[in-house]
Amino acid sequence: MKVLIIEDNQELARNIRDFLGREGYICESCETVEGAREKLALFQYDCILLDIGLPDGSGIGLLNVIRNEYKDSNVLIISARNAVDDKIIGLEKGADDYITKPFHLAELHARIRAVYRRKNLGGASIVEFNEISLNTDTFEARINDALVDTTPKEFDLLLYFIVNKNRVLSRQAIAAHLWGDYTDNLANFDFVYQHVKNLRRKISNAGGMDYISTVYGLGYKFNSHKQE
Amino acid sequence: MLVVLLIGGAIVYYEIQWKISRVEVVRHERLNDLIADQIRQGGDYTDHPTRKRATVTVIPADSVPKNTSTYYTRGLAWNPEFQANEFKLVVTSFYVINGLHYRVTTYSFIPSFYQLLPGVVDSFKWILLVLLVVVIVSGGLISKYILAPFKRTMRVIQSFDLKQQEAIRLPLTRTAEFMELNEFLRKMTDKAREDYQSLKEFTENASHELQTPTAVIRGKLDLLMESDIRDEQAILIAEMQNALERLSRIHSSLTLLTKLENKEYEAKEPVCISNLVRETLDSFDELIQLKSLTLESHIEKGVHIPLHLALADLLITNLIGNAIRHNTPIAMRSGAVPAAGAGGRDAGGGTVAMGDAVAPAGGGCGWISVTLTREGLVVINTGAEPQVATSELFERFKKGNAGSDSIGIGLAIVRQICELSRFDIVYEYKNGLHLLAVSFLPRTAASKLLQNLSLPLHLDAAGGRPDRQVRL
Repeated sequence: MKVLIIEDNQELARNIRDFLGREGYICESCETVEGAREKLALFQYDCILLDIGLPDGSGIGLLNVIRNEYKDSNVLIISARNAVDDKIIGLEKGADDYITKPFHLAELHARIRAVYRRKNLGGASIVEFNEISLNTDTFEARINDALVDTTPKEFDLLLYFIVNKNRVLSRQAIAAHLWGDYTDNLANFDFVYQHVKNLRRKISNAGGMDYISTVYGLGYKFNSHKQE
Repeated sequence: MLVVLLIGGAIVYYEIQWKISRVEVVRHERLNDLIADQIRQGGDYTDHPTRKRATVTVIPADSVPKNTSTYYTRGLAWNPEFQANEFKLVVTSFYVINGLHYRVTTYSFIPSFYQLLPGVVDSFKWILLVLLVVVIVSGGLISKYILAPFKRTMRVIQSFDLKQQEAIRLPLTRTAEFMELNEFLRKMTDKAREDYQSLKEFTENASHELQTPTAVIRGKLDLLMESDIRDEQAILIAEMQNALERLSRIHSSLTLLTKLENKEYEAKEPVCISNLVRETLDSFDELIQLKSLTLESHIEKGVHIPLHLALADLLITNLIGNAIRHNTPIAMRSGAVPAAGAGGRDAGGGTVAMGDAVAPAGGGCGWISVTLTREGLVVINTGAEPQVATSELFERFKKGNAGSDSIGIGLAIVRQICELSRFDIVYEYKNGLHLLAVSFLPRTAASKLLQNLSLPLHLDAAGGRPDRQVRL
């Protein structure tokens, strides 16, 4: 997948490049509206990460250009403004999703995958990993073709793990993913622990391999290379 | 005006008194002159009408007063014609006719000044009344005319909104004072708008400038986690993650509070809060189950309140989220404890007043009750006794339990939203229960909701059914 990162903060852009690079994505970045126009004219991108506040203009203006001239690209807005208005304007102008700073890189990755699934895979919304198969339309999880009874949060969690497989997912990142940015609803790690525990039990009971392991002090990891 | 009228009344009273005397005296002097003429001409005038009240006496020359030819006296005297004591005016004149000194005395009874007094008072009463009406009517009309520019200015000022982009347009006036006032108001509102704009820009910039570095740090930590690290380093990273999480949440909450204070969210149309409460409860469903809480919800359908959708969402999420997070099971209480199940509250009828509410015995289980009616929202949950007064928990960074992980800003946001929308909110702790009520009606105190809260049965009787009951 080719990703264009339009972000004026170089460090943040490098974080995203490093993270997505390990997934095998080809990432390019630019810092200005002008630079973005040049890149967009020369290359085609599957996904564009767009910061709203750029030094030489607003990302919203650029979004209009992208929507008119480069219709095939997915656009994910990155904004530091948590204002409801910005969010609505961005989505109305045709952005595919919206993520607010500061975000976890795993969360960004999950959003990119979700947007990509929705648009590019023509409705075939099945995410598969070995014996695990997740249908993101019906929220059905199957292991060895047998339906597993997961709650919506557990399904969400499993999908998050598989998209970010072989990565350490902090409890904060998991909590933020499952419950969003509820004000003053600090990540309650007990809930994360219980969800992960229940999920692992259900996968094991259904005959799946226990891919999820605890990473000391930090959180959890979906280990794809795990062998029995 | 009363003083003026009193003084005026006195003047009129004495003036009338004086005038009546004067006129009478002049009449009698003329009568006396006439009688003197008759005496001069000679003849018998004894039965003449002029003599009816006249006495003519010939007096010695030495008893004639030197310096005057006529004088009068007045005073109360018996009036035999009316059989009453009346005011009697006696006029005495002296004449020299044919060498003889005559004294001619005539009298008459005139109306007493005391008899006149009621008339004076009466007429003044009417004058006062007419004056009053005239003053009030003309005052109203004149002030309406004179103050018209002022009132137009007031209307403009009242509709002034800090958020408006354009400067206020004040009506033109030729009165110097109003021109001055308008000029002052124009300057002041322009300044206020400028300040508001710069504050808003500062908030947004601050948000932007702080969130980006936070995002950088968080990303670096995410990357660092995946490198080859030792256990103690992992702990350090985890602690940094925690602190960062707090930082970003405090920051976004404070930004939100500022936006609320700036009244940036105005209700465009009433939002259906019934659906919102139901959706929120659904989204918290798994948390409720994880904590083994018993939920009782009674949601009246189609309750609309004038509130921005995002704020309504925040309000409900915060209230219900709090009720779940700070929910700790309480010890079993002895005595008349209604069972959490069907037993305690049969659907037959009757209501349970919350005044003597006790937590249902759930064998040490936590319990939440969410009741939504047209009047308001009441959230009740079991929980540990707060260490500070419940009203103080609305302050920023106040926590009921110092050990808790939360940053203590959720209720401050809730209160801010309520203040903006003129909802009354009250928070009480009673018998191991946290009771939080929000009244949607401006004239209903939230505490009244708690007192009068008729629990579920009321709804059952009215044909509504509790939307959902989760019992574990």
